[in-house]
Amino acid sequence: MPKNLTLIVILFSLFLFILVLYLLRKGRIPVKYALIWLFFVVVIALVSIIPNLMENLANFLGFELLSNMILTLFIAILLLLTLIQTVMIAGQKKKTILLIQELSLLKKEMEEKK
Amino acid sequence: MKKKKVLLMLAAYNEEENIERVCEEIITYNQKNNTSYDFLVINDGSTDKTGQILDEKGYNHVDLIHNLGIGGAIQTGYKYAKEKNYDIAVQYDGDGQHDIHYVQKIIDPIIHNDADFVIGSRFVENISKFKTSRKRRIGIKIISIFIKMACGFKGYDTTSGFRACNKEIIKDFARDYPIEYPEPITIVEVAKRKYRIKEVGVNMRERIGGKSSIHSWKEAYYMLNVCLSILIAGIRRYK
Repeated sequence: MPKNLTLIVILFSLFLFILVLYLLRKGRIPVKYALIWLFFVVVIALVSIIPNLMENLANFLGFELLSNMILTLFIAILLLLTLIQTVMIAGQKKKTILLIQELSLLKKEMEEKK
Repeated sequence: MKKKKVLLMLAAYNEEENIERVCEEIITYNQKNNTSYDFLVINDGSTDKTGQILDEKGYNHVDLIHNLGIGGAIQTGYKYAKEKNYDIAVQYDGDGQHDIHYVQKIIDPIIHNDADFVIGSRFVENISKFKTSRKRRIGIKIISIFIKMACGFKGYDTTSGFRACNKEIIKDFARDYPIEYPEPITIVEVAKRKYRIKEVGVNMRERIGGKSSIHSWKEAYYMLNVCLSILIAGIRRYK
Protein backbone atom coordinates (compact mmCIF):
# COMPACT_ATOMS: atom_id res chain seq x y z
CA MET A 1 0.00 0.00 0.00
CA PRO A 2 1.35 3.47 -0.79
CA LYS A 3 2.86 5.19 2.24
CA ASN A 4 0.54 8.17 2.06
CA LEU A 5 -2.59 6.03 1.90
CA THR A 6 -1.39 3.95 4.85
CA LEU A 7 -0.83 7.14 6.80
CA ILE A 8 -4.31 8.47 5.96
CA VAL A 9 -5.98 5.22 6.96
CA ILE A 10 -4.05 5.03 10.23
CA LEU A 11 -4.79 8.67 11.07
CA PHE A 12 -8.44 8.16 10.25
CA SER A 13 -8.75 5.06 12.40
CA LEU A 14 -6.93 6.82 15.20
CA PHE A 15 -9.37 9.70 14.96
CA LEU A 16 -12.33 7.31 15.01
CA PHE A 17 -10.80 5.43 17.93
CA ILE A 18 -10.41 8.62 19.97
CA LEU A 19 -13.92 9.75 19.04
CA VAL A 20 -15.44 6.49 20.22
CA LEU A 21 -13.41 6.60 23.45
CA TYR A 22 -14.54 10.19 24.00
CA LEU A 23 -18.19 9.23 23.50
CA LEU A 24 -17.72 6.30 25.86
CA ARG A 25 -16.25 8.51 28.58
CA LYS A 26 -19.12 10.94 28.21
CA GLY A 27 -21.54 8.05 28.49
CA ARG A 28 -23.09 8.82 25.11
CA ILE A 29 -22.79 5.30 23.70
CA PRO A 30 -23.04 2.04 25.59
CA VAL A 31 -20.01 -0.26 25.57
CA LYS A 32 -22.01 -2.88 23.68
CA TYR A 33 -22.22 -0.71 20.55
CA ALA A 34 -18.87 0.99 21.02
CA LEU A 35 -17.23 -2.42 20.79
CA ILE A 36 -18.54 -2.93 17.26
CA TRP A 37 -16.95 0.34 16.21
CA LEU A 38 -13.69 -0.24 18.06
CA PHE A 39 -13.46 -3.67 16.49
CA PHE A 40 -13.73 -2.21 12.98
CA VAL A 41 -11.24 0.54 13.77
CA VAL A 42 -8.66 -1.94 15.01
CA VAL A 43 -9.18 -4.22 12.01
CA ILE A 44 -8.76 -1.33 9.61
CA ALA A 45 -5.62 -0.11 11.32
CA LEU A 46 -4.01 -3.55 11.54
CA VAL A 47 -4.76 -4.43 7.96
CA SER A 48 -3.26 -1.21 6.67
CA ILE A 49 -0.07 -1.65 8.71
CA ILE A 50 0.78 -5.15 7.50
CA PRO A 51 2.80 -4.61 4.29
CA ASN A 52 1.56 -6.00 0.98
CA LEU A 53 -1.45 -7.63 2.59
CA MET A 54 -3.95 -5.25 1.03
CA GLU A 55 -2.35 -5.31 -2.42
CA ASN A 56 -2.35 -9.09 -2.50
CA LEU A 57 -5.88 -9.26 -1.27
CA ALA A 58 -7.06 -6.72 -3.85
CA ASN A 59 -5.29 -8.68 -6.58
CA PHE A 60 -6.76 -11.91 -5.38
CA LEU A 61 -10.32 -10.54 -5.28
CA GLY A 62 -9.95 -8.93 -8.69
CA PHE A 63 -9.99 -5.25 -7.75
CA GLU A 64 -7.98 -3.21 -10.21
CA LEU A 65 -7.34 -0.45 -7.71
CA LEU A 66 -6.55 -0.86 -4.05
CA SER A 67 -8.65 2.19 -3.21
CA ASN A 68 -11.67 0.53 -4.84
CA MET A 69 -11.39 -2.41 -2.52
CA ILE A 70 -11.08 -0.19 0.54
CA LEU A 71 -14.13 1.81 -0.52
CA THR A 72 -16.14 -1.32 -1.19
CA LEU A 73 -15.12 -2.72 2.17
CA PHE A 74 -16.18 0.45 3.95
CA ILE A 75 -19.52 0.58 2.17
CA ALA A 76 -20.18 -3.04 3.06
CA ILE A 77 -19.40 -2.39 6.72
CA LEU A 78 -21.61 0.71 6.76
CA LEU A 79 -24.50 -1.11 5.10
CA LEU A 80 -24.31 -3.83 7.69
CA LEU A 81 -24.24 -1.33 10.54
CA THR A 82 -27.20 0.55 9.04
CA LEU A 83 -29.17 -2.67 8.78
CA ILE A 84 -28.44 -3.45 12.43
CA GLN A 85 -29.56 0.03 13.35
CA THR A 86 -32.79 -0.30 11.34
CA VAL A 87 -33.59 -3.41 13.35
CA MET A 88 -32.82 -1.57 16.57
CA ILE A 89 -34.96 1.44 15.62
CA ALA A 90 -37.90 -0.83 14.76
CA GLY A 91 -37.54 -2.51 18.14
CA GLN A 92 -37.50 0.84 19.91
CA LYS A 93 -40.56 2.03 18.02
CA LYS A 94 -42.45 -1.04 19.20
CA LYS A 95 -41.46 -0.34 22.78
CA THR A 96 -42.43 3.33 22.51
CA ILE A 97 -45.87 2.42 21.16
CA LEU A 98 -46.33 -0.09 23.96
CA LEU A 99 -45.37 2.53 26.55
CA ILE A 100 -47.69 5.18 25.13
CA GLN A 101 -50.60 2.74 25.05
CA GLU A 102 -50.13 1.33 28.51
CA LEU A 103 -49.42 4.71 30.09
CA SER A 104 -52.47 6.28 28.43
CA LEU A 105 -54.72 3.44 29.61
CA LEU A 106 -53.27 3.72 33.10
CA LYS A 107 -53.91 7.46 33.15
CA LYS A 108 -57.50 6.84 32.13
CA GLU A 109 -57.93 4.37 34.98
CA MET A 110 -56.37 6.79 37.46
CA GLU A 111 -58.66 9.61 36.41
CA GLU A 112 -61.71 7.40 36.74
CA LYS A 113 -60.77 6.55 40.32
CA LYS A 114 -60.46 10.19 41.32
CA MET B 1 -78.22 -16.89 25.52
CA LYS B 2 -76.16 -14.52 27.58
CA LYS B 3 -76.03 -11.06 26.13
CA LYS B 4 -72.68 -10.30 24.56
CA LYS B 5 -70.70 -7.30 25.71
CA VAL B 6 -70.03 -5.10 22.70
CA LEU B 7 -67.48 -2.31 22.47
CA LEU B 8 -67.30 0.21 19.66
CA MET B 9 -63.81 1.60 19.26
CA LEU B 10 -63.46 5.00 17.66
CA ALA B 11 -60.03 6.31 16.84
CA ALA B 12 -60.11 10.09 16.59
CA TYR B 13 -57.38 12.39 15.45
CA ASN B 14 -58.41 16.04 15.26
CA GLU B 15 -62.11 15.29 14.92
CA GLU B 16 -63.52 18.26 16.85
CA GLU B 17 -66.13 18.81 14.15
CA ASN B 18 -67.42 15.24 14.06
CA ILE B 19 -66.78 13.52 17.35
CA GLU B 20 -69.72 14.89 19.32
CA ARG B 21 -72.22 14.10 16.56
CA VAL B 22 -70.85 10.58 16.15
CA CYS B 23 -70.95 9.83 19.90
CA GLU B 24 -74.45 11.27 20.30
CA GLU B 25 -75.59 9.10 17.41
CA ILE B 26 -74.43 6.00 19.27
CA ILE B 27 -76.12 7.08 22.51
CA THR B 28 -79.40 7.90 20.74
CA TYR B 29 -79.30 4.61 18.88
CA ASN B 30 -78.82 2.72 22.14
CA GLN B 31 -81.83 4.45 23.70
CA LYS B 32 -84.10 3.90 20.71
CA ASN B 33 -83.20 0.28 20.05
CA ASN B 34 -82.68 -0.91 23.59
CA THR B 35 -79.12 -1.93 22.75
CA SER B 36 -76.17 -1.43 25.04
CA TYR B 37 -73.17 -0.80 22.86
CA ASP B 38 -70.39 0.66 24.95
CA PHE B 39 -67.98 2.85 23.12
CA LEU B 40 -64.44 4.02 23.65
CA VAL B 41 -63.00 7.01 21.86
CA ILE B 42 -59.26 6.79 21.43
CA ASN B 43 -58.04 10.34 21.15
CA ASP B 44 -54.85 9.86 19.18
CA GLY B 45 -52.97 12.87 20.49
CA SER B 46 -55.28 15.38 18.81
CA THR B 47 -54.02 18.95 18.70
CA ASP B 48 -57.47 20.51 18.33
CA LYS B 49 -60.39 20.57 20.79
CA THR B 50 -61.21 16.85 20.46
CA GLY B 51 -59.83 16.06 23.92
CA GLN B 52 -61.62 19.00 25.48
CA ILE B 53 -64.96 17.98 23.95
CA LEU B 54 -64.51 14.39 25.18
CA ASP B 55 -63.79 15.63 28.71
CA GLU B 56 -66.70 18.06 28.80
CA LYS B 57 -69.23 15.59 27.46
CA GLY B 58 -67.91 12.81 29.64
CA TYR B 59 -67.73 10.27 26.82
CA ASN B 60 -65.75 7.18 27.64
CA HIS B 61 -62.36 7.90 26.16
CA VAL B 62 -58.64 7.46 26.49
CA ASP B 63 -56.20 10.23 25.61
CA LEU B 64 -53.04 8.88 24.06
CA ILE B 65 -50.17 10.95 25.39
CA HIS B 66 -48.64 11.04 21.92
CA ASN B 67 -49.93 10.52 18.40
CA LEU B 68 -49.55 6.89 17.36
CA GLY B 69 -51.36 6.67 14.03
CA ILE B 70 -54.38 4.51 13.31
CA GLY B 71 -52.72 1.15 14.03
CA GLY B 72 -51.32 2.01 17.44
CA ALA B 73 -54.48 3.90 18.40
CA ILE B 74 -56.89 1.08 17.54
CA GLN B 75 -54.66 -1.44 19.29
CA THR B 76 -55.16 0.59 22.46
CA GLY B 77 -58.88 -0.08 21.99
CA TYR B 78 -58.26 -3.82 21.69
CA LYS B 79 -56.15 -3.75 24.84
CA TYR B 80 -58.98 -2.00 26.64
CA ALA B 81 -61.51 -4.50 25.25
CA LYS B 82 -59.39 -7.38 26.45
CA GLU B 83 -58.89 -5.88 29.89
CA LYS B 84 -62.61 -5.15 30.32
CA ASN B 85 -63.54 -8.59 29.06
CA TYR B 86 -65.61 -7.58 26.03
CA ASP B 87 -67.01 -10.34 23.82
CA ILE B 88 -67.07 -8.34 20.61
CA ALA B 89 -65.02 -5.34 19.53
CA VAL B 90 -66.14 -3.18 16.63
CA GLN B 91 -63.90 -0.75 14.82
CA TYR B 92 -65.93 2.31 14.01
CA ASP B 93 -64.77 5.54 12.44
CA GLY B 94 -64.74 8.72 14.46
CA ASP B 95 -65.38 10.86 11.42
CA GLY B 96 -68.97 9.85 10.73
CA GLN B 97 -68.26 7.63 7.74
CA HIS B 98 -69.85 4.58 9.29
CA ASP B 99 -73.53 4.05 9.89
CA ILE B 100 -74.52 2.99 13.40
CA HIS B 101 -77.56 1.10 12.07
CA TYR B 102 -75.26 -1.52 10.58
CA VAL B 103 -73.40 -2.40 13.76
CA GLN B 104 -75.99 -5.05 14.55
CA LYS B 105 -75.53 -6.57 11.10
CA ILE B 106 -71.78 -6.68 11.57
CA ILE B 107 -71.87 -8.35 14.97
CA ASP B 108 -74.69 -10.78 14.16
CA PRO B 109 -72.46 -13.41 12.50
CA ILE B 110 -70.24 -13.39 15.60
CA ILE B 111 -73.19 -13.66 17.98
CA HIS B 112 -74.53 -16.63 16.00
CA ASN B 113 -71.05 -18.08 15.78
CA ASP B 114 -70.98 -18.03 11.98
CA ALA B 115 -67.78 -16.03 11.82
CA ASP B 116 -64.92 -14.79 13.99
CA PHE B 117 -64.13 -11.69 12.00
CA VAL B 118 -66.64 -9.60 10.06
CA ILE B 119 -65.84 -6.87 7.58
CA GLY B 120 -68.39 -4.20 6.76
CA SER B 121 -68.31 -3.81 3.01
CA ARG B 122 -69.45 -1.22 0.49
CA PHE B 123 -69.07 -3.65 -2.37
CA VAL B 124 -71.33 -6.54 -1.43
CA GLU B 125 -75.14 -6.68 -1.34
CA ASN B 126 -75.22 -3.25 -3.00
CA ILE B 127 -76.36 -1.36 0.08
CA SER B 128 -73.98 1.56 0.09
CA LYS B 129 -74.72 4.28 -2.41
CA PHE B 130 -71.35 5.81 -1.79
CA LYS B 131 -68.66 3.65 -3.35
CA THR B 132 -65.70 6.06 -3.38
CA SER B 133 -63.81 7.24 -6.42
CA ARG B 134 -62.91 5.03 -9.36
CA LYS B 135 -59.22 5.34 -8.67
CA ARG B 136 -59.69 4.14 -5.11
CA ARG B 137 -61.87 1.26 -6.21
CA ILE B 138 -59.11 0.09 -8.53
CA GLY B 139 -56.60 0.43 -5.69
CA ILE B 140 -58.81 -1.63 -3.38
CA LYS B 141 -59.26 -4.23 -6.13
CA ILE B 142 -55.47 -4.60 -6.46
CA ILE B 143 -55.11 -4.89 -2.68
CA SER B 144 -57.82 -7.58 -2.65
CA ILE B 145 -55.95 -9.56 -5.32
CA PHE B 146 -52.79 -9.42 -3.25
CA ILE B 147 -54.67 -10.55 -0.15
CA LYS B 148 -56.07 -13.47 -2.11
CA MET B 149 -52.52 -14.39 -3.10
CA ALA B 150 -51.16 -14.02 0.41
CA CYS B 151 -53.76 -15.99 2.35
CA GLY B 152 -56.45 -17.26 0.01
CA PHE B 153 -59.24 -15.10 1.39
CA LYS B 154 -61.34 -13.50 -1.31
CA GLY B 155 -62.55 -10.12 -0.09
CA TYR B 156 -63.95 -7.05 -1.76
CA ASP B 157 -63.80 -4.06 0.59
CA THR B 158 -60.45 -5.02 2.04
CA THR B 159 -59.52 -1.56 3.28
CA SER B 160 -62.79 -1.05 5.13
CA GLY B 161 -62.29 0.18 8.67
CA PHE B 162 -65.75 -0.98 9.75
CA ARG B 163 -65.22 -4.42 11.25
CA ALA B 164 -66.00 -6.59 14.22
CA CYS B 165 -64.13 -9.42 15.86
CA ASN B 166 -64.67 -11.96 18.63
CA LYS B 167 -62.88 -12.45 21.92
CA GLU B 168 -60.12 -14.64 20.58
CA ILE B 169 -59.13 -12.09 17.94
CA ILE B 170 -59.36 -9.28 20.50
CA LYS B 171 -56.68 -11.12 22.45
CA ASP B 172 -54.52 -11.58 19.34
CA PHE B 173 -54.82 -7.94 18.37
CA ALA B 174 -54.12 -6.72 21.91
CA ARG B 175 -50.86 -8.63 21.78
CA ASP B 176 -49.82 -7.84 18.24
CA TYR B 177 -51.35 -5.39 15.79
CA PRO B 178 -49.83 -4.12 12.54
CA ILE B 179 -48.71 -0.52 12.71
CA GLU B 180 -48.64 0.09 8.96
CA TYR B 181 -51.70 -0.47 6.76
CA PRO B 182 -53.59 -2.35 9.49
CA GLU B 183 -56.83 -2.89 7.52
CA PRO B 184 -55.51 -5.17 4.78
CA ILE B 185 -52.75 -6.68 6.89
CA THR B 186 -55.07 -7.79 9.69
CA ILE B 187 -57.21 -9.66 7.14
CA VAL B 188 -54.17 -11.69 6.11
CA GLU B 189 -53.18 -12.33 9.72
CA VAL B 190 -56.66 -13.38 10.76
CA ALA B 191 -57.00 -15.65 7.72
CA LYS B 192 -53.61 -17.25 8.37
CA ARG B 193 -54.63 -17.95 11.94
CA LYS B 194 -57.54 -19.95 10.48
CA TYR B 195 -60.32 -17.75 11.77
CA ARG B 196 -63.57 -17.53 9.83
CA ILE B 197 -63.96 -14.23 7.99
CA LYS B 198 -67.21 -12.89 6.63
CA GLU B 199 -67.93 -9.81 4.58
CA VAL B 200 -71.34 -8.18 5.00
CA GLY B 201 -72.86 -5.26 3.15
CA VAL B 202 -73.11 -1.98 5.03
CA ASN B 203 -73.87 1.60 4.25
CA MET B 204 -71.05 4.10 4.29
CA ARG B 205 -71.31 7.84 4.00
CA GLU B 206 -68.99 10.11 2.21
CA ARG B 207 -66.60 11.70 4.64
CA ILE B 208 -67.75 15.23 5.31
CA GLY B 209 -64.99 17.65 4.53
CA GLY B 210 -62.74 14.79 3.50
CA LYS B 211 -59.94 15.94 1.31
CA SER B 212 -57.62 13.94 -0.86
CA SER B 213 -54.55 15.86 -1.80
CA ILE B 214 -52.31 12.89 -2.41
CA HIS B 215 -50.30 13.10 -5.60
CA SER B 216 -50.25 10.20 -7.98
CA TRP B 217 -46.63 9.23 -7.40
CA LYS B 218 -47.37 9.11 -3.71
CA GLU B 219 -50.34 6.89 -4.41
CA ALA B 220 -48.19 4.57 -6.48
CA TYR B 221 -45.64 4.43 -3.68
CA TYR B 222 -48.44 3.75 -1.19
CA MET B 223 -49.77 0.91 -3.32
CA LEU B 224 -46.30 -0.59 -3.64
CA ASN B 225 -45.88 -0.46 0.13
CA VAL B 226 -49.29 -1.95 0.87
CA CYS B 227 -48.89 -4.78 -1.62
CA LEU B 228 -45.41 -5.64 -0.36
CA SER B 229 -46.63 -5.54 3.24
CA ILE B 230 -49.45 -7.91 2.35
CA LEU B 231 -47.05 -10.36 0.71
CA ILE B 232 -44.72 -10.16 3.72
CA ALA B 233 -47.67 -10.73 6.05
CA GLY B 234 -48.44 -13.76 3.90
CA ILE B 235 -45.03 -15.33 4.43
CA ARG B 236 -44.72 -14.38 8.10
CA ARG B 237 -45.21 -17.08 10.64
CA TYR B 238 -48.01 -16.82 13.15
CA LYS B 239 -48.36 -18.62 16.43
